[in-house]
Amino acid sequence: MSAHRSLAVWVWLLLLAISLIFALRARFTADLSAFLPRAPRAAQQILVDELREGVVSRLVLIGIEGAPPAKLAHVSQALADRLARTTGFGFVNNGAESRTAADARVLVDQRYLLSPGVTPERFTASGLRAALEEDLALLASPMSPMVGPLLARDPTGETLRILDRLHLESGPPKRDGVWFSPDGQRALLIAQTRAPGFDLDAQERAVAAVHAAFAAALSVDKTEGSARLLVTGPGVFALATRAEIKQDVTRISVLAVVMVCALLLVVFRSWRVLLLTLLPVASGVAAGIAAVSGAFGAVHGVTLGFGATLLGEGVDYAIYLFANLGGTNPQARLGRLWRTLRLGVLTSMCGFSVLLLSDFSGLAQLGMLSVTGLLVAFLVTRFVLPSLTPESVRVRPAAALGPPLLEAVQWLPRLRYPLLLGFTLSLVGLAWQSSRVWDDRLESLSPISDADRRLDEQLRRELGAPDVGQLVVIRGESRTQGLELAEQAGGILERLQRDGELSGFESPAQFLPSERTQRARQAALPEADTLGRALTDAARGLPFRLESFGPFLDQVAAAKAGPLLDRGQLDGTGLALKLDALLVQRHGAWFALLPLRGVKDVRRVQAALAELGQADVHTLDLKQEADALYRGYRRQALHFAMAGAGAIALLLLASLRSVRRCADVLLPLAAAVVVTCAAFIAAGARLGMFHLVGLLLVVGVGSNYTLFFERHTFAASDQQRTVLSLTLCNACTAIGFGLLGLAHAPVLHAIGITVAAGAFLSLVFGAVLRNAM
Amino acid sequence: MTSGAVRRALASLAALALLAMADAARAEWGLTQLMNELARVQHATARFVERKYLKMLTTPLVVRGKLEYVAPGRVEKRTLEPRPEALIVDGDMVVLESVTGRRTLALQDNPVVWAFVESIRSTLNGDLSTLERFYAVDFDGTPDAWRLRLAPKEEPMKRIVSLILISGERDRIKTIEIKEAQGDRSVMTVLEERR
Repeated sequence: MSAHRSLAVWVWLLLLAISLIFALRARFTADLSAFLPRAPRAAQQILVDELREGVVSRLVLIGIEGAPPAKLAHVSQALADRLARTTGFGFVNNGAESRTAADARVLVDQRYLLSPGVTPERFTASGLRAALEEDLALLASPMSPMVGPLLARDPTGETLRILDRLHLESGPPKRDGVWFSPDGQRALLIAQTRAPGFDLDAQERAVAAVHAAFAAALSVDKTEGSARLLVTGPGVFALATRAEIKQDVTRISVLAVVMVCALLLVVFRSWRVLLLTLLPVASGVAAGIAAVSGAFGAVHGVTLGFGATLLGEGVDYAIYLFANLGGTNPQARLGRLWRTLRLGVLTSMCGFSVLLLSDFSGLAQLGMLSVTGLLVAFLVTRFVLPSLTPESVRVRPAAALGPPLLEAVQWLPRLRYPLLLGFTLSLVGLAWQSSRVWDDRLESLSPISDADRRLDEQLRRELGAPDVGQLVVIRGESRTQGLELAEQAGGILERLQRDGELSGFESPAQFLPSERTQRARQAALPEADTLGRALTDAARGLPFRLESFGPFLDQVAAAKAGPLLDRGQLDGTGLALKLDALLVQRHGAWFALLPLRGVKDVRRVQAALAELGQADVHTLDLKQEADALYRGYRRQALHFAMAGAGAIALLLLASLRSVRRCADVLLPLAAAVVVTCAAFIAAGARLGMFHLVGLLLVVGVGSNYTLFFERHTFAASDQQRTVLSLTLCNACTAIGFGLLGLAHAPVLHAIGITVAAGAFLSLVFGAVLRNAM
Repeated sequence: MTSGAVRRALASLAALALLAMADAARAEWGLTQLMNELARVQHATARFVERKYLKMLTTPLVVRGKLEYVAPGRVEKRTLEPRPEALIVDGDMVVLESVTGRRTLALQDNPVVWAFVESIRSTLNGDLSTLERFYAVDFDGTPDAWRLRLAPKEEPMKRIVSLILISGERDRIKTIEIKEAQGDRSVMTVLEERR
């Protein structure tokens, strides 16, 4: 063993040890927002952030069904009581009056700071006179027992005005005092976890707490335990997805190892060769995971799943090495092999490295894993494996497989014209069907099953949980500025509402007015003597007993002199939940979100809000934005894929120094890409951005095979060896990517089936379109 | 003992027996019979005068208007004075109409309104089981002068109303008195017109 060779082994061992330490200590995540794009516009970014960590991400929607309503209501109460005592939840509501009592108390106590009706005119003698006359009519109405008790402290009706504006009565219908679905079959609850949606361990504890509380609620109630629990929400989805990814990754990895090993064993018929073949790829996987962990801080479960493809592909280099050992003149053969392999590794890395530029951190991780893994696998094969292979190892690839494979390869060029025809037809077909080639729905990125999505939509609709279509996003430098801008926008929206342009809106300022507004309202309240005199004047000639308004006079005086309302006073109320959903701090700024209802023409709203003269006011249509965002990313993926393919073409041209030879390598790849696409479309599928990524990888991976058919490489002397090793390598790659196609996560599934099909077609088409021979 | 004396004795025994039977028949007329009688009424209209004795006011508030009942589920209370407004209950929905606008409520969302509605509607409808869902029902009187005492069972209603007293004659309601928990009180006198 020469000095530099043993040096290579030592370096390898050292790096392998370091990689293993990093890889074993890596933190693993399954946060699917890694596959949500980073958005280009701040307003869009807010939406993505909300999905990741906002209040919306922390909602747990709960349904209880399968028992008579009275029993369901009972269980709902017991469940809500238990959850409210659980530390993981900041808020629990099942519609019961006891749970909304805190909200009502804040609204009543803080009415003079919260109500837009508080103006100086309202508290003059004439303003109060109008209010008292209205009160008299209320007392005469059938509703008097309900509203009467309020009048002594709130004769100007501020509490009712606040309630009217907040639309608080529009919750789900109630039965036996708690929320029910309209058909009365299901009791409904809503809970909010303290931890953000992306903290999956916390979400897992929260969901487990819901199940435990439900079981306890059932066991306390001695009647039959037929009630069923339904739990949904972003956190629940994320957990289900994590479990699914975990299961998929484990299953795919085990299957890939077993199948690749079995194949290698059948062909090489040697345990020793098998173990040696796995060394480079194992080093590659370890180095890849270590690199991802170092660069991204955590390794995504999906990235690990991608390791299976690395196994299928990285094992190729060792296969070529062992297939070419022995026989006559191995040195010359190996020299030629290394040159071809070096170019193959470079083209593959070229394809994968484009992923590093992606705005999806998940895709960037896949790129990092593959680039590092392939490079390390190649280097270990080239510089370490030969020194570890004892001279005594006799590699005898299953000889029986050679002749029939070679025969097939020699027969395949007869298909040249049919293939060219098929290629042309596929191109025409794609052009003809061009309108339905792309899948532009953001949901196509989501791994959530349709059944789960339907349940979520149904509970969300029944609970009236936020599911907004259009909203105004306003950016402020501080909480105060955010609220003040929201109030200004609210003024314009109220005008539009009066004009019938929209039927309503929500604003954070409705739950917490800005300090400026609160001070203005305090200033609008008169001093105690002034108010007393005004009330006496106002009541003249009306049958009111003046002394009954004592609470009114006291509470106005208290509100005028008292502290302003702040966020802390809303703790533990449903109002805080609303406020936190509508006023969020992100990236050092405060964003106010104003969801709109019943908008006639969003452009007129935009035009009206332009009067504010604020650059940081955006009116968004969520569904449209999300789809536009996704289309943008698909377009970006298309550009990346084309740039990657172009880079690969340039690399080949520079290495092969001949347009002709370059075309020999690329034409089969182009045919493979086009025929793969056409097959998907013909099967009724549509192409999303992950398919595009897959197509780029077809070029990067497939070039490894077509390079060997290129005439200078496919030398006559070792055709059998080449064909055998090519077939074996291709089978391993197809196993790796094909198994990935079984995964549920769309990113793995789409890339898996695309590359498996494309890589196999690349090999076959490479043989068909071979110029030499 | 003369035969005349025997006859008198027998006659008085028979009279006693008859009286006892009559008593038994009267005792059998009770809540169930009242409800059955009320349930037979399909349609009724009436005028009403309601006097509200409120702590906040120095004089009682007088409200006048019309009532209409259509079996089994529709009750309309149309106020003419002091200001026109209407409360219309039909099935599960309540519509409130006034000069300021029109509002629709679902009974199930408003337990207090629901309890109020059923105190009158279930009585008119002779629906004892619904009545007993909301109230502890107490009954006394004769067919010509009966009285129902309804004490709310559920918490939110209990906090607002302490007792509802409904009096009537045969299958007609004559007065409805509502005693509120805070001490206010209203008495509605019903003057039936036709059915």
